[in-house]
Amino acid sequence: MATPSLTFPRSVFAKLSPHPYLLRTLTTSPDDTTTTTPTRTNGRAPSEPRPLKIHTSSLSHAHGSALVRAGDTTVICGVRAEILPVTSIPQYRPVTDYDALAEDEEEKERRDRAELKDYDLLVPNIELATGCAPQFLPGVPPSTLAQTVSTRVYSLLHGSGVVGVEGLRVWDTSRVGATAEGVDEEEEEKPRLVAYWTLYIDLLFVSYDGNPFDAAWTAVVAALRDTKLPEVRWDPDREAAVCGSRTERAKALGVRGLPVACSAVVFLEKERGEPGEGRHWLLLDPDRLEEGLCGEAITVVVDCEGGETRVRAMEKVGGVVVGRELVRGFVGVAEKRWKEVKAAMNMDGQAHGALGAFVEEAGSSR
Amino acid sequence: MSATTAPEAALSVLPRADGSAKYSYAGYTVTASVNGPIEAQRKDEHAQEAYVDVIVRPAAGVGGTRERHLESLLQSSLSQLILVKNFPRMLIQVVLQVEAVPDNDYENTKLVQASLNFPIIPALLQTAVLGLLSAVVPMRATATSTVAAVVFQDGAKRVVVDPSPKELAAARSVHVLAFTSHDELILAESEGDFSVKEWDDVYDAAAKICCQSGAGNADTAMDLDGPVNAGPDMRQFLNSTLEAKVAADLYWK
Repeated sequence: MATPSLTFPRSVFAKLSPHPYLLRTLTTSPDDTTTTTPTRTNGRAPSEPRPLKIHTSSLSHAHGSALVRAGDTTVICGVRAEILPVTSIPQYRPVTDYDALAEDEEEKERRDRAELKDYDLLVPNIELATGCAPQFLPGVPPSTLAQTVSTRVYSLLHGSGVVGVEGLRVWDTSRVGATAEGVDEEEEEKPRLVAYWTLYIDLLFVSYDGNPFDAAWTAVVAALRDTKLPEVRWDPDREAAVCGSRTERAKALGVRGLPVACSAVVFLEKERGEPGEGRHWLLLDPDRLEEGLCGEAITVVVDCEGGETRVRAMEKVGGVVVGRELVRGFVGVAEKRWKEVKAAMNMDGQAHGALGAFVEEAGSSR
Repeated sequence: MSATTAPEAALSVLPRADGSAKYSYAGYTVTASVNGPIEAQRKDEHAQEAYVDVIVRPAAGVGGTRERHLESLLQSSLSQLILVKNFPRMLIQVVLQVEAVPDNDYENTKLVQASLNFPIIPALLQTAVLGLLSAVVPMRATATSTVAAVVFQDGAKRVVVDPSPKELAAARSVHVLAFTSHDELILAESEGDFSVKEWDDVYDAAAKICCQSGAGNADTAMDLDGPVNAGPDMRQFLNSTLEAKVAADLYWK
């Protein structure tokens, strides 16, 4: 009679006692060979992120879209622009002289940001779809996670200034140059600000396997870089904005810089010990299992576009392991991640660039 | 309304809660009520540790996504401070009611704002810690917190501690840092545009406010730097508030 076996497959062990499982994989090499580098349960080294795949312009009805995939975390972002006439903005405060403002760079920047914020021109929304991970149930209000990620994306959109308000202003130029009688000539020559574009940035998590913020932010930036606003003209007779339908006339929304988010969690050796005692590992780009086991998390958003590394946002919560030195070191890790994300974005851009050139050629030969 | 006055706090202001505290500083007034350990709901129950529930109520209107984010920040920080493993399957509930926020005549103020409000985080954290102390919840450490902004003034960078709303609007970057009483960094939030060097300067300024120990030490530091850059000594404030409360409670002896 065969004795019942007391060995479990890995997946059962992972479910029954996840903390010792992850600890064991980190402290011993997977196949007991000579390698001494710690490996995570997903086969990655602690500082190894998941490869990133970005695909833009996949949604035909959005003005810009991006599908971002990092391992089993898949998020799709669509940007839809809508016209907001200044007459329907409550508490609208028109700026009388933009030229005078332009002289003071600092003041102009501040006013531009305030304009974006006061009139709510950027509206991000995040949905964690039912079934993207087991913890999201149907028919419930947005989870705390969705609301938290949404707040962070909103704060970063405004804080980092990736979208400038200049590209969102709609001007009435129909009366420029036309000198109507009885009206002061000086006033007539200037274009009039009549409307704004409002960007609705919708994010949908198709599949969720940890690290939602990095994926969401990458998708937002990729989609904004892909966004093309249609040609718009103000019709003074109808008092409405009229959009042209020709796609080749659409104007790309300028995106300033390339902020990239990089997250990690801190895994402690002792599950029930005091924080800070025993060994710890910094796990970059955590998956769902790792996020569930770690309390402390750090996110750094960096932008190395200007050659020099600038930090655009930082968040460190839930523990005391990451101190000053680790934060400094982590900015270096984020720089590395920035290069990878930039490469992933450019790779996608090249694929589209070839297609774009083809379309242009076809258009001109007609 | 800049922080020219010292922080003020009162402990056990609510008669029915296990512990409560009222804290006001830099234009913010927050009241905390703390109940715990009490029985947890089935969905929140954790077999090994107490669940810390934080509820943030804004000064006007109902809480939105921003309040959820603040709650999650505070919840993860307070869970590190409270000895949660002493109370398995229990709940420690912290309710924070914002009573007053500084007015800002220069900005369009909207009732519902989605972006994260940095200067309110220290006020909420300080009040929560005071409330927990008042409720005699066993804790590993206390925490002190402060907000600092990096502003450009006359072509030079300057770290402003407890910035006014106007300074905040003009700031290059805003930072919130919180330290435990063992001088460990427990919470760090930053936004804007800054370098690692600038963050280091902010860290120094914040550590000076949050991590000083002893009244004598604080006095000498004040004298050396002058009151321009130096903020209040938060740890000293926490100690003196509790000492005053204990002295008042033991008066009958």
